[in-house]
Amino acid sequence: MSTHNQGTELDLSWISKIQVNHPAVLRRAEQIQARRPVKKEWQAAWLLKAVTFIDLTTLSGDDTSSNIQRLCYKAKYPIREDLLKALNMHDKGITTAAVCVYPARVCDAVKALKAVGCNIPVASVATGFPAGQTHLKTRLEEIRLAVEDGATEIDIVINRTLVLTGQWEALYGEIRQFRKACGEAHLKTILATGELGSLTNVYKASMIAMMAGSDFIKTSTGKETVNATFPVAIVMLRAIRDFFWKTGNKIGFKPAGGIRSAKDSLAWLSLVKEELGDEWLKPELFRIGASTLLSDIERQIYHHVTGRYAAYHDLPMS
Amino acid sequence: MAATRVGPRAREIFTTLEYGPAPESHACALAWLDTQDRLLGHYVNGKWSKPEHRNSVPCQDPITGENLASCLQAQAEDVAAAVEAARTAFESWSRLPGAVRAQHLSRLAKVIQKHQRLLWTLESLVTGRAVREVRDGDVQLAQQLLHYHAVQAYTQEEALAGWEPMGVIGLILPSTFSFLEMMWRICPALAVGCTVVALVPPASPTPLLLAQLAGELGPFPGIVNVISGPASLGPVLASQPGVQKVAFCGALEEGRALRRALAGEGAELGLVLGAEALLLLSDAADVDSAVEGVVDAAWSDRSPGGLRLLVQESVWEEAMRRLQARMERLRSGRGLDGAVDMGARGTAARELAQRYVREAQSQGAQVFQAGDVPLDSPFYPPTLVSDLPPASPCAQAEVPWPVVVASPFRTAKEALALANGTPRGGSASVWSERLGQALELGYGLRAGTVWINSHGLRDPAVPTGGCKESGSSWHGGPDGLYEYLRPSGTPTRLSYLSKDLNYDTFGLAVPSTLPAGPETGPTPAPPYGLFVGGRFQAPGARSSRPIQDAVGNLHGYVAEGGAKDIRGAVEAAHQAASGWAGQSPAARTALLWALAAALERRESALASRLERQGVELKAAKAEVELSVRRLRAWGAQAQAQGQTLQVAGLRGPVLRLREPLGVLAIVCPDERPLLAFVSLLAPALAHGNTVVMVPSGACPLLALEVCQDMATLFPAGLVNVVTGDRDHLTRCLALHQDVQALWYFGSAQGSQFVEWASAGNLKPVWVSRGLPRAWEQEAEGAGPELGLRAARTKALWLPMGD
Repeated sequence: MSTHNQGTELDLSWISKIQVNHPAVLRRAEQIQARRPVKKEWQAAWLLKAVTFIDLTTLSGDDTSSNIQRLCYKAKYPIREDLLKALNMHDKGITTAAVCVYPARVCDAVKALKAVGCNIPVASVATGFPAGQTHLKTRLEEIRLAVEDGATEIDIVINRTLVLTGQWEALYGEIRQFRKACGEAHLKTILATGELGSLTNVYKASMIAMMAGSDFIKTSTGKETVNATFPVAIVMLRAIRDFFWKTGNKIGFKPAGGIRSAKDSLAWLSLVKEELGDEWLKPELFRIGASTLLSDIERQIYHHVTGRYAAYHDLPMS
Repeated sequence: MAATRVGPRAREIFTTLEYGPAPESHACALAWLDTQDRLLGHYVNGKWSKPEHRNSVPCQDPITGENLASCLQAQAEDVAAAVEAARTAFESWSRLPGAVRAQHLSRLAKVIQKHQRLLWTLESLVTGRAVREVRDGDVQLAQQLLHYHAVQAYTQEEALAGWEPMGVIGLILPSTFSFLEMMWRICPALAVGCTVVALVPPASPTPLLLAQLAGELGPFPGIVNVISGPASLGPVLASQPGVQKVAFCGALEEGRALRRALAGEGAELGLVLGAEALLLLSDAADVDSAVEGVVDAAWSDRSPGGLRLLVQESVWEEAMRRLQARMERLRSGRGLDGAVDMGARGTAARELAQRYVREAQSQGAQVFQAGDVPLDSPFYPPTLVSDLPPASPCAQAEVPWPVVVASPFRTAKEALALANGTPRGGSASVWSERLGQALELGYGLRAGTVWINSHGLRDPAVPTGGCKESGSSWHGGPDGLYEYLRPSGTPTRLSYLSKDLNYDTFGLAVPSTLPAGPETGPTPAPPYGLFVGGRFQAPGARSSRPIQDAVGNLHGYVAEGGAKDIRGAVEAAHQAASGWAGQSPAARTALLWALAAALERRESALASRLERQGVELKAAKAEVELSVRRLRAWGAQAQAQGQTLQVAGLRGPVLRLREPLGVLAIVCPDERPLLAFVSLLAPALAHGNTVVMVPSGACPLLALEVCQDMATLFPAGLVNVVTGDRDHLTRCLALHQDVQALWYFGSAQGSQFVEWASAGNLKPVWVSRGLPRAWEQEAEGAGPELGLRAARTKALWLPMGD
């Protein structure tokens, strides 16, 4: 995690002609889930890989230092040691990719991770999460404070008003300022696609966010009624590929919200593999924002190793 | 902890994140083959038949080459036995109430549902196609087809009153897609009360399994019979007494040969030929989605053939880059693997593709191949051919699976010209986000199916078919039902083959006619000349033929038309075609009604000419009146054509359009010189065709009288009337490559010749087989059959969403 996306000058010609056909993208989304089943050892290996992409997240009003602590421990030891041993993977240092919390809990998370001797990044949501309907000044201040507290990744939300009213220059300008406020921290831009109105808007917002210097683009906050869906992801991935073709910069992708089952996570992996290729399948370029997904993956691994289905108490909670 | 079930590879896969095998177990398919002792015969009359002393052909796994079973090859007597079984079954099946047939079809759907794993693994095992497509596509569609047609059977008595089932239907099926192609055809056939004998190529067990599942259902064992045998048995099947229709699906040249072989046989022939599809990508398209459309069309085992891809020049680079990047991600492999896009289709398909690509390369084309494809022999990689010179032989030839031939176009108009500039007219898709442009292209394409911003969608309620050399037979929807129906009371079709008819000389020479004396009689001299391009013209041969009246006196002279006059008439009709097809239905109505009014004014002249032909005055007047009514009735019907279909699983409508055939040639019968002429002309015009007509040979003068009114009322070239030697003119029309359809009412020999000659451009033909027709009756003179034959269907899919 060294280099940032420096972004580019705003070039509206990159988004002016774009058209996304909604029903065609829906069909592709349906197909992609049925066309690449992953079985047996491949499934186990893929699931372990999926663990390393997870931004283990808690974004609740009742978060306190104790559950943050538990979360951080789980992030360090996501899969039971004996299961990893059975797979001969115990020496791979498998952890989740990051933990993701509210700005006020960043300190707790940094402390807890330090305590378990884990150097994965702490990501903080910011900029008036989840609605983004606060003043720009406070949104910028929020970023600075989170970075000060030790967050090295900032998940910002964009201002949906600017997208829905077509103020692309203003959107670009805002994200540019967020970028600056982040300093050395990584900028992950949440598009809140469930509130953008159309897939064409999703593409345009993705492109603007990348031009403005986002290191990741992220589907949703998890707080909208519609969260990470395959059609939206397809459009964002195509935007990432187009940006790469135009600039040579690889931008990361993070679906978040509603990804709960191990099977879903496999589909997300193959989606990225199909649309962008293997080089995107690493934590620097692909994250899954999730809270309950990890326990289902652990259960599947348990089944793969033992041939039995796990009871809830067989696996430690996060 | 229990003993570990984990192999050593997880570590490695963790790093590479490669795909692993996802094999679908085909144990049940092998077990089913075992129940037949790995020897498949024919399934006839609800029983397996394994006659002795027959050749057998091995059924092989196309990927491993492993012998799965032996398949007995039918001989003529096996075909006869199957047809006999179907004939017997027809007696009871066709007389059942539709509700009972509906119930039976629903039960068959249930049986398929219960045994679907067996069906999809067997089909994928023996054809090599990706199991995903068979499992999620074909088998589900098969059940939907049965349900849809069960409903059609249930409502048949009401909705299809006036029609009856044809009888025994012969199906001739290709080796790939045989299961699905069979379902598309047996469902409507069984629904309306027909019974079926299917001839499948050697080593196609799935249709046999289907027949077994249907046969074991009980009370109607002989309704579906399947025999496997070589293509040479096609004509044998078609010429069995009792076979009323043959539906052929397969390669173009085989279909052409069958058309020639079946001239004069009793069975009607329905052809679905070739498998190439077309995709039109405009600069207003969502290019990435269009690229997925290309994958659906050519590289996903969904369709049997290759793809012709037309890309607007302004997005050519972008489209090619995306297409090539997408190709890298395609996976080929054993069809039974759930994670492959494309299987293998055996040596023949592979060699065909190889030969085509090699030739394209030698003709100057660029070839791009990519994808994760096993290197060993049965596989062929997804292939993109570009820069093929437009005039090279490969650019004209049919594109085979799994090849995509891409070429650029500049404007939408040019795209239409290029797309319509092939002899094929199967299915096509248009990719454009501009509604106006998409509809313009969708309506303008000459194809059976057009998808807007999608490709390869299918539904039982939507008719699928083609035009031009793709054949003019339909399956699915209402059109699919009419394929197996005939107007009630139509006599059984019998062979009328005349063995000594010489196709080379039929109608070749025009017998010379000599002057028969001066014209006499009280009426004004009849109009003279050929009515071509809106005016009367002297014939190219500059000679005339005398027409006699009922008592043998000279009634008048008519022009002796010839090959050049036919050429001119067809040209004139083509010039008028686009204008007339573009007219609103109301304008067509107005013109037909105007002609009706003109005929009324001309009643006395027409009646007196009929009188001279031996018709009583009262009857003559009645005939004129009836002719006027026919024009009005068809004029009124011009208003109501086409409909909108709603399809499960699709948001948005599917339009069932009724489009003109183009230039329709009509050879009128000798009898009823006025009524038959008008009865045939009116539906042709109402449906937007332009026509070239050969009027009654006995008395063409009445048609020429009508031409006098058409000369003032109609746009030039809309109707062209050529008099002369009927056999000669028929020959010229039947062999004309740019006549889109031909109706022939005349001698048995003429009918046979027309059927034979139509193989040239595979124009749909309707022949009288030498039988008379009751023009004065509603059913035969003005029934819905004429309307059905006067236009072709196009399905236009319009998915919606934002």
